[in-house]
Amino acid sequence: MNQLYKFRKIAFALAISIGLLTASSFAQDSATPELQTKQDSAIVGNADQSTEFSQQDHFRAMALTSKAFRGATKKILPSLVTIESFGGVGAIQGRIGGIRKQGEGNTTGILVSRDGYILTSTFNFIQQPPVITVITNDGQRRLAKVMGRDDTRKLCLLKIDGVSDLPVPEIMDLDKITVGQWVISLGVGYGDLSPAVSMGIISAKNRIGGRAIQTDANISPANYGGALVDIEGRLLGICVPMNPQSQAIAAGVDWYDSGIGFAVALSGLEKLIERLKKGERIRPAFLGIEAAANPKGDGLLIKKVVEYTAAHEHELEAQDIVLELNGTPVNDMLALRQILNKFEAGLEVEMTVKRNGEKKKDKFKLTLGAPPKPKGEPEQLEPPKIR
Amino acid sequence: MKTKFELKKSFTLAIACLLLTSLWAIPSFAQQASNESFLEKMIGTAQAKMVKVFGAGAGRVDSFATGFIVSDDGKILTAQGVILDGKRIRVVMADGTSHEATILKRDRVHQVALLKIQAETPEHFKLSNEPVGEKGDWVVALSNAFKVADKQEPLSATLGVISLRTELEARLNKRDVAYKGELVLIDAIVSNPGAAGGAVLNIDGNVVGMIGKVINSSETNTRLNYAVPNNFLAKFVANKKTDQVVESATEAPALGQADLGIILFKFGGRSNPAYIDRVVRGSPAADANLQTDDMIVSIAGQKIGSVKEYVNMVETLRPEEEILIMVKRGVEIVRARVTPRQKKIN
Repeated sequence: MNQLYKFRKIAFALAISIGLLTASSFAQDSATPELQTKQDSAIVGNADQSTEFSQQDHFRAMALTSKAFRGATKKILPSLVTIESFGGVGAIQGRIGGIRKQGEGNTTGILVSRDGYILTSTFNFIQQPPVITVITNDGQRRLAKVMGRDDTRKLCLLKIDGVSDLPVPEIMDLDKITVGQWVISLGVGYGDLSPAVSMGIISAKNRIGGRAIQTDANISPANYGGALVDIEGRLLGICVPMNPQSQAIAAGVDWYDSGIGFAVALSGLEKLIERLKKGERIRPAFLGIEAAANPKGDGLLIKKVVEYTAAHEHELEAQDIVLELNGTPVNDMLALRQILNKFEAGLEVEMTVKRNGEKKKDKFKLTLGAPPKPKGEPEQLEPPKIR
Repeated sequence: MKTKFELKKSFTLAIACLLLTSLWAIPSFAQQASNESFLEKMIGTAQAKMVKVFGAGAGRVDSFATGFIVSDDGKILTAQGVILDGKRIRVVMADGTSHEATILKRDRVHQVALLKIQAETPEHFKLSNEPVGEKGDWVVALSNAFKVADKQEPLSATLGVISLRTELEARLNKRDVAYKGELVLIDAIVSNPGAAGGAVLNIDGNVVGMIGKVINSSETNTRLNYAVPNNFLAKFVANKKTDQVVESATEAPALGQADLGIILFKFGGRSNPAYIDRVVRGSPAADANLQTDDMIVSIAGQKIGSVKEYVNMVETLRPEEEILIMVKRGVEIVRARVTPRQKKIN
């Protein structure tokens, strides 16, 4: 669609200075101690001191970052897998039920256990392929089963059998991820078993209900399900299409290669992966109200309650005013969405509602539901039984 | 959606302006500060070898592109395209002077063209015969994307890294021919109007490749940011043929002469996996012990994702040339060596 363009990478000066940081961290074994000292003085020093840097140093630092990118790629490579899909829903005019068609190429996944569990993005299966195979880095091709999926993170878990001792990546703590640090996105979507790399920085943490980290490295169908690693090849997250305004399966794909990309941080996801192993499907939370800021005071004035939703079941009505959700005051829909984004369907929230004008305040718990199926969106991920 | 797009556009323009001003400032800055940044110097040197190309436009096809000088006698590389099909091709040099250009040759398969102007061009790129740059190397792309630069104004520089060197299936927009051969994928965004023909340089200032026309990757269904590799360009420029070169990189087609003896399930849809319905007795497939209900995973290393892909693949096979076929049997992947036989003509 509309190709977005970015000029983010014109920050040459930035590149160079960060390059030096990188050079020292990566090249601990190879770089000269001299470079290290110079770098330190540049960081703490003023403009005069930084002129101690010769242009040759700058050049060398930049060349070293390239070396570091390659080193990081090499480190994560054994844990990346190539996913092949066979068959599936046909596309009409490049779209499948209103969703942008996938490419015909392979997609990427990341090994998360020695015994063959693989995390990847649900986007890679919007065509509902009845058969999926996985090629591990040693070139072995195996049939894969789809286990659970998490619609709130656009992730799903695959399993290959008959394996043990697969290389699992080193996962970086979310706390240690810093805005501005170098990252590299990798994916095999361009058809080569060696992944395509793109570099950038961490743009923000705590996006999309705290589920995603944001990067300006290129994120696209070429690396959805692929890895976002730091300069030393440690895994930060798994690349996914995301859009804070929509939970639809392909939302965010239109932002591909735009400099706005997301990855789900893998640190702390162990519990989630256990749930996915059991085949659970995690859905986004849905309340089921249409509301707007209360013109006469605090809270959200409910305009309409959608039938067969959590709000409907708990007998919320039009003209009710939502004051708080889980103890946080909500004065506009954005605040409501921000809070809901942190939840998933089936979880309980506490809600404070004012009914009948000024008369009554009510505090109660309600169980959040899942959003109704968007029109045309594929419901099932499980392969239909062909034979 | 619209506002979002406009926002991004204005943001881009703002950045572009910033960039322009910074590049404009080069001469004065260079005089004042002795330690001009090496990238600034590299880009400054390269700018003198870059040109803006103007030609014919048609409908939504833009009438502008980028090019770069590759010889001292006015030879200029640019991307093949509609813009070269008009009566006049105008080339604007880095100093703002304008020259009329003629087409020396063009390659419609690889989508490159060589132009010539009647002027001496001591400032030019030397193309290496060996591939320049490997995965992860920094590259600077210089182009006149969106026609941001006018006359003597320097072109826009974008920074990125080489993502991958690969041959891939790509198709040009608007029912054009497919690109053949290796591409250098980069992560700087260059798939923009007017960028084609621009130079992709490494931090030494050597040409890594030329920004190609906007193409869509059928593998990812996204636009590709890529360069036509320098070693191919060097060969193209050195090629003595002065008339239009239309290289065909394909071997003689196999014309569907091969037969495997496999009959697939047909479900009506086109995107079904290639399940074997029946194996003809005494056929190559039968000899290789392929069975009903096997699903074909790959043939000769090519993934077979659907019945359609199987049909296309078999067309390219040659009789008596052994190939490896991988099938899914139950939950196992089974390998079979199959030698196709000559198709019987009824």
